[in-house]
Amino acid sequence: MTKLTKQKILAIASPGGHWIQLNKICKPLENQFDIVYITPGAKYSTDKDSKRIINITDASADSKLKLIPLVLQLITIFIKERPTAIISTGAAPGAIAILLAKILPIKTIWVDSIANVAQLSRSGRIIKNIADKVITQWEPLSDGHKISYQGSIL
Amino acid sequence: MIFVAVGTQFSFNRLIQYMDEWAISDSNKKQEIVTAQISDGDYLPKNIEYERFMSAETYNKNIREASVFVSHAGMGNIISARDQQTPIIVINRQLALGEHRNDHQAEGLKWMGKLEGVYTASTQDELYSHLNNIKELMPATHSHVGNQQLSDYIADFILHGDGKASLVKL
Repeated sequence: MTKLTKQKILAIASPGGHWIQLNKICKPLENQFDIVYITPGAKYSTDKDSKRIINITDASADSKLKLIPLVLQLITIFIKERPTAIISTGAAPGAIAILLAKILPIKTIWVDSIANVAQLSRSGRIIKNIADKVITQWEPLSDGHKISYQGSIL
Repeated sequence: MIFVAVGTQFSFNRLIQYMDEWAISDSNKKQEIVTAQISDGDYLPKNIEYERFMSAETYNKNIREASVFVSHAGMGNIISARDQQTPIIVINRQLALGEHRNDHQAEGLKWMGKLEGVYTASTQDELYSHLNNIKELMPATHSHVGNQQLSDYIADFILHGDGKASLVKL
């Protein structure tokens, strides 16, 4: 029996380069999946295109107190949206979403930013053994096993 | 028009000052109008138009219409420059000058300079020498940003890949 509804995917990224890369990677997936975008950059919600965007609190290693609202928001989104997968290009909020999804039946995919040439990003190194799939955009950083390389967006 | 942007996370007074001075220098003689997005920087330019933040629409329009885009060494702007077919000069923020939390933009400059349509500068002199040869700066020959193979790989993993054994059923 074929499923009539598309699988729901959460796509999470911080503003700037992370967000732009996420959009470039997810755009070709929009026909196949129901993608909900999540970002701590409130300004993106005014974009004219039709994609669904949920705003969340930003948090990083420098703002540990903001972790609490962020975690609560992410859990609420998981319960409401029931995604089958999460994709993130970074930075901290995406990594936290992947950490939280660890105990849930959600596949987690981390695509490290193209800006990380010499080693995986700080967030990437933290969730390297937690995400179900880790992808680098630089071949030398791939180990052909845990960290995959499938080309870059440029 | 030359469009200058420094991102939204940090200020980049040094770059704004370089561009402010270049705008009235002999090599420009006010031929090119300079427009800048300066974030929360406290250096307020005198010779160029500026806004602290711009709408995405204005921002992309400026990149598209600029003869060259001058930017901090951020990935987002490099991608946008390619999207809009505009050559870009990137200059790195320096940790030593308190312009960023780390020096990854300096490392980034090495490979960014190998990308088509991307020119790099780490000093005022290097920046000015690009600007003084503005006619020679070329955009990338193709504007496509994205990678079908990468996106297909992710789709295949979502549909058929091995997830972990979940501990909780929603």
